[in-house]
Amino acid sequence: MQERKLAIVDLSKGKVQTYTIPKSWRRGFLGGRGINSYLLYNLLEKGTDPFSPRNVFILGVGPLGGTLAPSSSRFSASALSPETGFLGDANCGGFFGPELRYAGFDHLVLRGKAKNPSYVNVQDGEIEIRDGRDYWGMDTYDVQKAFRKDLGDVESVVCGVAGENKVRFACLRTGVKNAAGRCGLGAVMGSKNVKAVVASGTDGIEVEHPEEMLEVVKDIKDYLMASKITPILGSMGTPLLYEISNTIGAIRTKNSQLNAWSDSLNAEELEKYVEKMISCSSCFMHCRHRNMFDGEGPEYTAVGLLGANLGLDDYPEVIKLNNTCNELGLDVSSSGTILSWAFELYKKGLIDKKMTGQELRFGDFELADELLHKISKREGFGDILAESSKAVKKFGPKSEDYLIAVKGLPQSDPHDVRYIKAFGLGIATASRGADHLRSRPTLEIFFRLPLEVKEKIYGKGVTADPTSYDGKEKAVYFSDNIFATIDSVGICKFICHGFNSPHFLSYEHFSKLLHAVTGMRFGEKELENIGKRIIDTERMFNFKHGMTAKDDTLPKRYFDDPMKLKVGKGHRIERKGFQKMKKRYYKLRNWNEQGRVKKQRVKQIESYGGLP
Amino acid sequence: MKYLFYHPEKCTGCKQCAMACSLNKFGECNPKKSAISIVRDEFERYEYAIVCMQCEEAPCIEVCHQGSYYLEDNVIKRDDDQCIHCRLCAAVCPHSAITTVGKEIVKCDLCDGDPKCVKYCSTEALVYEEETKEQAAKRQELAKKILSTS
Repeated sequence: MQERKLAIVDLSKGKVQTYTIPKSWRRGFLGGRGINSYLLYNLLEKGTDPFSPRNVFILGVGPLGGTLAPSSSRFSASALSPETGFLGDANCGGFFGPELRYAGFDHLVLRGKAKNPSYVNVQDGEIEIRDGRDYWGMDTYDVQKAFRKDLGDVESVVCGVAGENKVRFACLRTGVKNAAGRCGLGAVMGSKNVKAVVASGTDGIEVEHPEEMLEVVKDIKDYLMASKITPILGSMGTPLLYEISNTIGAIRTKNSQLNAWSDSLNAEELEKYVEKMISCSSCFMHCRHRNMFDGEGPEYTAVGLLGANLGLDDYPEVIKLNNTCNELGLDVSSSGTILSWAFELYKKGLIDKKMTGQELRFGDFELADELLHKISKREGFGDILAESSKAVKKFGPKSEDYLIAVKGLPQSDPHDVRYIKAFGLGIATASRGADHLRSRPTLEIFFRLPLEVKEKIYGKGVTADPTSYDGKEKAVYFSDNIFATIDSVGICKFICHGFNSPHFLSYEHFSKLLHAVTGMRFGEKELENIGKRIIDTERMFNFKHGMTAKDDTLPKRYFDDPMKLKVGKGHRIERKGFQKMKKRYYKLRNWNEQGRVKKQRVKQIESYGGLP
Repeated sequence: MKYLFYHPEKCTGCKQCAMACSLNKFGECNPKKSAISIVRDEFERYEYAIVCMQCEEAPCIEVCHQGSYYLEDNVIKRDDDQCIHCRLCAAVCPHSAITTVGKEIVKCDLCDGDPKCVKYCSTEALVYEEETKEQAAKRQELAKKILSTS
């Protein structure tokens, strides 16, 4: 088995220390998000301010990253989130993750703070903190182009102007649109005076059983390509989900005042503005749109949150806002949610021109674009919006009633969860806040899926009716576990079981791929248990930093205001039903009544130990 | 005669061709150590494969003073045992299709008639098929053009 490396870069002292990743960690947490979360739990002290040099910023790639394994482009970035004060974690595709591994490292930890604007260069096993003053102030496109001009064929993960200015929802960017979007990790990078981590390496990933890998991947490729949904995902990408949600009346519209919007944002309309579909590293699906406005995207989140949620129905305008977020380094999900929140508050008279400096309204593309620029520079009213959900302090306590966020994280999913109850439980309990990529049991949306299929995936006791609370904890539990494992092996959820399809890749496929690449044997049950261990570790981290069961809740509007349109009409989340479902979820997780990981389990997880 | 054909408009830039090639030839996944290279730049908005065109008048065979390159069943092959790693072949290749990385020199040999790059391409940007007369004429014309300008 090939050894893999981890490096800790102390930006304050200018020192780099390299370690071999303990085999026990690889067995217990795999890599990527799993090892990142375990490291965070170990390295971060209670009471740390997310913007202080004591916060740590971690990049991690899974054991399949950068190989022939399908869609093995992903890496995870983790830190204490400045947007929530809890776990900050985001997963990202593109070509950077593989390149970091080719450069010799699976995990990179940045701690401390550089004296001057810097960048971290990782090349063929060597790590150097370099002067980055010439790159400071550049947008995410220009800085990456500059690195390629100055350093050759490199891949970089960067923060934009928004990250430099510590906008609490600044993302990390690599390539034109790949984002480690959520939780403000770009702001953490910026707070450390780091513009980028740049990677290049000529060493590949040594594969333990090459023949076996060629065979396993060929079988997987044939399996994926035979699916009816594959060509649809490859031509429409995630925007496909817009129409599905909108049909039932579950598209967040104008800050969830409404729940359905225009068909003009359906995926087939988008095709008019697409030059070509392209891929991340090692991907058979090619779900990425190269759009005709000099950018890439949009994804479903951008369509919903920069479209319907801002009251915009013109695709070119939505695509342009998406491109603006990409260039500035802003998280699309938080951007769309925070802007729409402010628009409604203005309309309701909870904030006024004295604070905003201008009239705010839905359906105004120029205004939205201008505000995004102001946010990234923290200019005028943009400085308040840059605080994300923490702007409640400025807007007043009543404003919180209209904020679509959980644990301080604006909801990423454009899907209004008042109808499908399992989606509600998912965003309420997800370890990073209101986010669908942690545990969304997407199959709940396919109403016609036979109960047997659901039972086979989620277990007995789950109910067919998406509006029922019964057994829905099982659907969330299954999804939460498998998504954690997926994020830790280093592949994309798009091709995995339970996310887009009742088929696709599951534990048995991960097991085969892991054996071919590393020679390590992981049983299917063991891989599921790793997912559970990661969820528990993240829970331990969150509770260490002040979270309680009260934080596992939903925006007030989802409880109190029934949906107004289409199939969803009249639906809301009932507090009683929700609380009972949440309790059952805790029980399933073997957490105590207060949602805390039990002492014995904490001990067991802590026994994996620190760095040697 | 079967040839490897590349359709750039279908290429999504995923590099699975190069991953499979390096895995098959060296037991590692390394898109930089592959007989097929994907040159891509998402900011300039292109992705393009570079791979041996099996030239009929092959500069690599002509320039190699060690006799490392030879023709076998219309496929240009390379014998590493004869090679002194001077890299002249890579320097003269009009398609820049000979990869040199570290000590290795890598050139496409069509995997003895079962090219791995084609097997793992999901969009048929790479195909291995019998050449039509039109394709042959086009290929020869292109080769002449490149040779006359290089």
